[in-house]
Amino acid sequence: MMSTASWALMALFAPAAAALILAVVAPLRRRLIFSVGISLLGVITSLASAIMVVVGYAANLVPVELTVPWLTSAGRPFLDAGVHIDGISAPMLVVVAFVALCVQIFSIGYLDDEKAPSLGRYFAYQSLFLFSMQLLVLAPNLMQLFFGWEMVGATSYLLIGYWYAKPSAARAAVKAFWITKLADMGLLMGLILLVQNTGGFSWTAHLEPGIATAITLLLFVAVMGKSAQFPLHIWLPDAMEGPTPVSALLHAATMVAAGVFLVVRADPLFAQAPDTRMFMAYLGAGSALFAGLLALVQTDLKRVLAYSTCSQLGYMLAGIGAGSATAGFFHLTTHAFFKALLFLAAGAIIHAVGSNELSRMGGLAKKMPMTAFVFILGSLSLAGVPGLAGFFSKDLILETVVEQQLWLPAVALMLTAFLTALYMGRVILLAFFGPRVSEGHPHDPHFAMALPLLLLAIPSLAVGYFGHWIAGLSGNEYSFHITTTGIVASSLGLAGFGFSWVIWRKHPAEEPAPMRALAAFAKRAWVDNAYRFIYRRGLLLVASWAAWVDRYIVDALINACGALFIGGAGRARRIQTGNVRDYLFAVSLGALCLTAWGLWR
Amino acid sequence: MNLQACLLLSSGLFCVGLYGLLTRRNAIGILLSIEVMANAANLNFVAFSRYSGAGYGQVFALFVLALTVAEVAVGLALVMALFRSHRDALVELASAFRH
Repeated sequence: MMSTASWALMALFAPAAAALILAVVAPLRRRLIFSVGISLLGVITSLASAIMVVVGYAANLVPVELTVPWLTSAGRPFLDAGVHIDGISAPMLVVVAFVALCVQIFSIGYLDDEKAPSLGRYFAYQSLFLFSMQLLVLAPNLMQLFFGWEMVGATSYLLIGYWYAKPSAARAAVKAFWITKLADMGLLMGLILLVQNTGGFSWTAHLEPGIATAITLLLFVAVMGKSAQFPLHIWLPDAMEGPTPVSALLHAATMVAAGVFLVVRADPLFAQAPDTRMFMAYLGAGSALFAGLLALVQTDLKRVLAYSTCSQLGYMLAGIGAGSATAGFFHLTTHAFFKALLFLAAGAIIHAVGSNELSRMGGLAKKMPMTAFVFILGSLSLAGVPGLAGFFSKDLILETVVEQQLWLPAVALMLTAFLTALYMGRVILLAFFGPRVSEGHPHDPHFAMALPLLLLAIPSLAVGYFGHWIAGLSGNEYSFHITTTGIVASSLGLAGFGFSWVIWRKHPAEEPAPMRALAAFAKRAWVDNAYRFIYRRGLLLVASWAAWVDRYIVDALINACGALFIGGAGRARRIQTGNVRDYLFAVSLGALCLTAWGLWR
Repeated sequence: MNLQACLLLSSGLFCVGLYGLLTRRNAIGILLSIEVMANAANLNFVAFSRYSGAGYGQVFALFVLALTVAEVAVGLALVMALFRSHRDALVELASAFRH
């Protein structure tokens, strides 16, 4: 019988081994059967071990920690590495491994026209990502979490740029990397402040109020980058250039949720900083509304889903900001399932139609009934239709926000609930109903792509009923009861679907006027332009000043020293005449002087 | 002949040597001047030894003689080399290492 910690280590290192083997042994990577087999073996082992971890943990609900000292400072242990299993990391472990398994199976079908060596590279990246994510999830301290955090960032870069020959993909990869890296500086600085004030990287440390606010705000900057919150959200829509399964795994279900996970993880720190929480609630709600509006006017199916992800992450952060980490974590869990489902279903559509554009779709429900069914199921769950997974978690967030009497965020989140249903209704109507637009014969995907869809449909439907169990794992109470908030929110959601039915039922040739205005607003790309402005007018200007100081002051000082010595030495070497008699004269003169000095003394 | 006379003689010899050292252009002349100076010092050794009654000074004088022989051997070899390459033994010819 293996201990819980050993299972956790297995869940962590199985994908690492797969990634290592695929990276190092090139002949295995070049054969499809081996690369897929090794990668799947890694992820299945990881999932099975993760389930054993949850079972083992749920048996007695005692957090388990297994660490080895890693770095020492002045003879004392400074930093540990290892695994920490509690009510947050155990379920997260399963969610990550489960979605990764679905995505990897789906990828076999989705990327069937790729060459074998290139697919080997893809599966090596996938395994590496899973390892990084599990490293982040199991981290016993914030420093190990930071390592995992950076590694998922790097694998995100590699996977977005999987089609590296495509300029837009390469640019999107670099953009994602830069923006998240900029935000990660916040995490790094926060950790430095933390270690200066407490001497460790623990998330349970006690801090003075001012320091707590500073540290948590810095951590939150990193969260804004990773979880694509306004104004650092601009990388996520562009990241859709990667293969769709990658978008499903990294940019919907797991990696972007790592930001939310950090906030849940460091909740004891955030609890000491009410100001940060307030900021988080307002910013999350604002992001949710803003991204919801942008999702409404996208013409690219994947971009709709990307903005929807921004919006839902904003929901989670608003919930945590209002003081309930359980609510945020619950929504993270449900969202991971139904958003992965939506992305994979979108992948199936894109694979069948050969385009991301909504205008190229239409009438697909008859041709792809299974895909249509799971996509609509995912959309209903996302929009919070009563009884589906998204309803319960969204309801808990809204209740928390209303309970804390944060009226402005509450209104924003209510509007977002309406918008969510509206844009999902639009996508469903435009893609699955109305007249057929594209030629060819789109059809439901075959086994490798259909299986993950069905696997993900089950939790999208049912995971909401396990809320009390998930909350119970971390020692919290949760029981569902019908409240006014819930009724208002779900009726807003249903109203959203109704509105979308009214507007897009007949596939209007041109969007209604407010939509066109909004689309024009979105096209102006305000945030991207603001970054460009700050970069050109701000950063480059400061950089040119710094370059001037460096060239004409710092370098000048160094060069002056050099010139002094070269000039001086050039003059001094003239006394080396090379003539023996001169030297003899000098020796004699020296001897005379020494004699004179001796006599005089 | 007392100690003072010996010392006067040796310092005279030394000055003659020094003069030669500074004025000669020929390497052989310089070597000879150095010999004169070395022997002026030797004379001091012998004189002090003679007038103080201890024998150590004379032993030192013998050492100095052996030393100057070795020095002259090296010096003459250098002079030969100089002469071979320049057909002359003027010391200012050996100035390849100037700045």
